[in-house]
Amino acid sequence: MRLLLDLRNTKNASQREQLAREADEYGIWGVVVTGPQGAECVEASAIATATRHVVVVVDVDGQGVHPTTLAEEIAVLDQIAERRTMVIFRGPSNSQTTLTTLLRGLPFEGFILSPPPAQASIEVHSVEEIPQVDLPEASAEIAAMIDQYRDSPTAFLIISSNKSIKELARHLIGRAASTDFPQMVADLADQIDPINQ
Amino acid sequence: MDIGIGLWCLQSTATSPRSFGQAYRELIEDAQLAETNGIHSLWLSEHHGYYDGYCPALMPAAGAALAATQTIQIGTGVLLLPLHEPQRVANAANLLNEQAPNRFHLGLGMGYRPIEFEIKQQNISQRLQLMNAGLDALKSQTQIPTWVGISSEKAAERAGRRGLGLFISGAFSKEVVNNLIQAHRNAWEKSDPAEDSPPPVGLLRNLWIVDSEAERRQALDWVRSSYLVYAGLGWGADNTGVDFVSQIEASMDEVEKSATVGSAEQIAEELDGYDVDLVVCRIGYDQPPRSALTDVIERIGRELIPLVDSRGGKQ
Repeated sequence: MRLLLDLRNTKNASQREQLAREADEYGIWGVVVTGPQGAECVEASAIATATRHVVVVVDVDGQGVHPTTLAEEIAVLDQIAERRTMVIFRGPSNSQTTLTTLLRGLPFEGFILSPPPAQASIEVHSVEEIPQVDLPEASAEIAAMIDQYRDSPTAFLIISSNKSIKELARHLIGRAASTDFPQMVADLADQIDPINQ
Repeated sequence: MDIGIGLWCLQSTATSPRSFGQAYRELIEDAQLAETNGIHSLWLSEHHGYYDGYCPALMPAAGAALAATQTIQIGTGVLLLPLHEPQRVANAANLLNEQAPNRFHLGLGMGYRPIEFEIKQQNISQRLQLMNAGLDALKSQTQIPTWVGISSEKAAERAGRRGLGLFISGAFSKEVVNNLIQAHRNAWEKSDPAEDSPPPVGLLRNLWIVDSEAERRQALDWVRSSYLVYAGLGWGADNTGVDFVSQIEASMDEVEKSATVGSAEQIAEELDGYDVDLVVCRIGYDQPPRSALTDVIERIGRELIPLVDSRGGKQ
């Protein structure tokens, strides 16, 4: 299971960028960003430009917009992000079908994206497909929650937390990825290299 | 007079194929280089569904360029408003302005390629109405500096009546440019404006700084070759009154004639004759090698801008 850090409710732009940089540095798999309708890929583009590794998951509102326009914006974003784009789509299912087809590099009713996405195919998920959680404060509860979603199973989990990115990375990335995460290593690391110092 | 550079179209053309990843990386590098050299602005251009990847989504591209720089202004030259939902354009422009305060300019045009209107399921015969409705919507939803790309006096008058800036196409003679500016100014004055000064005028010029006759000939060949892109875009566009293809040599001659190619001193003197607020040096051709492009960006900043400033043109 891959963890996606939710930045959609972080109001301050510089704070979003800072958190994305930290996620990038500490190996969080993806960050979820959005914006007012039509500005989602503008926000994602700024985050992609500020980072190098983290996947930029853009949450787009497809209501009342031509799906080719959305697809063009996301394809350009994927060029800027150098293959690091993923999509959460909110909107009509027929628009999602068109978008998914185009972002696979396939033609739809005679139209094909130019430029194409940088990656062979950009994943498009409806909002219901990816669970999201506010992580509790207690470490044991967080661990149990991550285990539960990992074994459910789900490929992605969107997380929100007040904890530092480094702490999340140290304790959760390996747990989310593996059923035999050695918690004692993370706990010992906290003693050798305390997070808050 | 401010000096900007354009037009970044982010293409991979048949004449100069390249990876799109490289094109978008170079947009960032070029914006940073232009900023370092004191250039006022960098302008992007839009088309849809063209084989060479001509950028169809300017707002994310502008977002990347703004995020990678601190002071340079980024503009759309132009975004084809009838092909977009105005509310989405306003939202994107407002976010860009929030992320990079006072550094984003919204240049808008109508578009002319039937295929682009077909892709967006819009009627090309309604493009003027769509444009006007879009401008009305934007006026109430954004305070971003707005420029209208025009190529006729009627269009200049429409922009003037609305109190919007002009973005004048690159291949016109000085006489035509001055007529367009006058039409814009007259319409603005008749509109009983609340502002004291007229809306700004921007002028796109095919331009290159050279030191010798050989370099001049090379630069003019690059300018001529840039017309190939337009010939391709215009293929099948039968509503413009322009025959893009069959008279290609004559059209290239016209483009060459209107180009501003010479020493920095000669170019500064030539630009001094235009009553404009902004000149966008059109250097984003697909033919020049990378080193020639970066060299001319540096020379525009290092040589041309100080000369233009010293002449004390329109501020």
